[in-house]
Amino acid sequence: MKKIGIVLLIVVCFLTMGCGKEVKENDNKESNPDAYTFSYNGLDYVLGSEFTTSKYGKEDSYSEAASCAFDGADKTFTYEHFEVATYPDGDIDRIASIYFLDHEIKTPEGISLGDSINDMNNAYGSDYQQSENLYTYTLGRTHLNFIVENDTITSIEYYYDAEN
Amino acid sequence: MKKLKVFILIIVFLFLFIFINELFAQKYVTNFPEGSMIDDYYEDPENHEVIILGDCEVYANFTPMVMYKNEGITAYVRGNSHQLIWQSYGLLKETLKYEIPKVVVLNVASLKVSEPEKEPYNRLLLDKMKWSKEKIEIIKSSMTEDESFISYIFPIIRYHSRYNELTLDDLKYMFNHKVVTYNGYLINKEIKGVSTLPTKKRLGSYTFKDNVIDYLDKIRELCQENNIKLVLIKAPSLYPYWYTEYDNQVKDYANKYNLDYYNFLDNIEEIGIDYSHDTYDGGLHLNLYGATKLSTYFGRILKDKYDLTDYRLDNEISDIYNQKLYEYNNAIKE
Repeated sequence: MKKIGIVLLIVVCFLTMGCGKEVKENDNKESNPDAYTFSYNGLDYVLGSEFTTSKYGKEDSYSEAASCAFDGADKTFTYEHFEVATYPDGDIDRIASIYFLDHEIKTPEGISLGDSINDMNNAYGSDYQQSENLYTYTLGRTHLNFIVENDTITSIEYYYDAEN
Repeated sequence: MKKLKVFILIIVFLFLFIFINELFAQKYVTNFPEGSMIDDYYEDPENHEVIILGDCEVYANFTPMVMYKNEGITAYVRGNSHQLIWQSYGLLKETLKYEIPKVVVLNVASLKVSEPEKEPYNRLLLDKMKWSKEKIEIIKSSMTEDESFISYIFPIIRYHSRYNELTLDDLKYMFNHKVVTYNGYLINKEIKGVSTLPTKKRLGSYTFKDNVIDYLDKIRELCQENNIKLVLIKAPSLYPYWYTEYDNQVKDYANKYNLDYYNFLDNIEEIGIDYSHDTYDGGLHLNLYGATKLSTYFGRILKDKYDLTDYRLDNEISDIYNQKLYEYNNAIKE
């Protein structure tokens, strides 16, 4: 009788312990070397880290998009040469992506819009995933996307994999 | 005697387990009513001549009550947050077990998504869906990497950490359902006009993936088998962007299979949508005022082109719908 009780208890424990998907804490600290970092005007934009306009400056324009059902909003802060998108994490916003708007800025490895695919290969190597025109380099939970059209880089975007 | 005790113990355990399981499950009443929309349909799964399938772009943008009031159309929106194309297919199959509509309307926004993306959206659609072959198929095709099938069977696996957020609603709605929509339309009266939209980014690929087109084919074939007219639409949401490249693929598909396709982004002026007033979140979804305009416009098209019945002239159905309309009118006045 006791044994059956224990077995049932174990079944309940098995079903309830540690099986649920919990919202994972963001483990991407400012100093995490396993994350792509974009730098501009002496400021480092670490993907997945907290974003505030008090730190990064007032944007030129701003927009936000609420999710279909959940609280919080994805925000986009547009600066002169790039756009920073954030995602909500509790009370703070974290950097979800950085999108280059013109060729005036470069990645820390020296790549800008208009450079060639050879420049990209020289700077980042060939360890990328390719899907049609899209070349993706991955570092930890961060990604660097290049879109290449006619051997020329036409889009550069960093993004953070917040869902994994 | 010992066997009897064991039997009783097992029965008690089972009841307790079911109770705890139901207690911890999300109720989707006060928070996230979008999770209850799937369940609403089972309260009234008959006599709809039009079924509208899609994501939030349908449950926020089309109000069947307006279509009934203006044209006598009986429509139902089977849309859920971030509903993907294979989920629409599964819901269509499930719907056909209950009723055969004359027209199925499919919003094409989900064609750009080829893989499951976010677990919470799966939960909103699936937690309260009735168990069926279709539900199992949808779960299997929708699970993200970290999900397990068993957590859909036993919600406590997913929601055991809710122990500190349980409220009276969790008891009240353990075995009851509260209807949150009006034939699948979720009322939102807030006003937040469009100010600035994010930059329209270049994409690495604009081509719909094969698996997505496969499901579109399945929906088309299922409609064909059941003599249902399939109509493709793109709701007039300004964001996420609907690229011309996407639109051209849908147009080509519609031409190939002789389907009607309405991209309402091309008719914003004609519909009368004012994006400074008719949206509740800056252009993603229409609010009640925008949805009323769009449903008036689309209701007229549906009535003119698809030989639908004017159910305002049917005593039995009009009784039901007049009551629904009365409740709807009260809700939008609140």
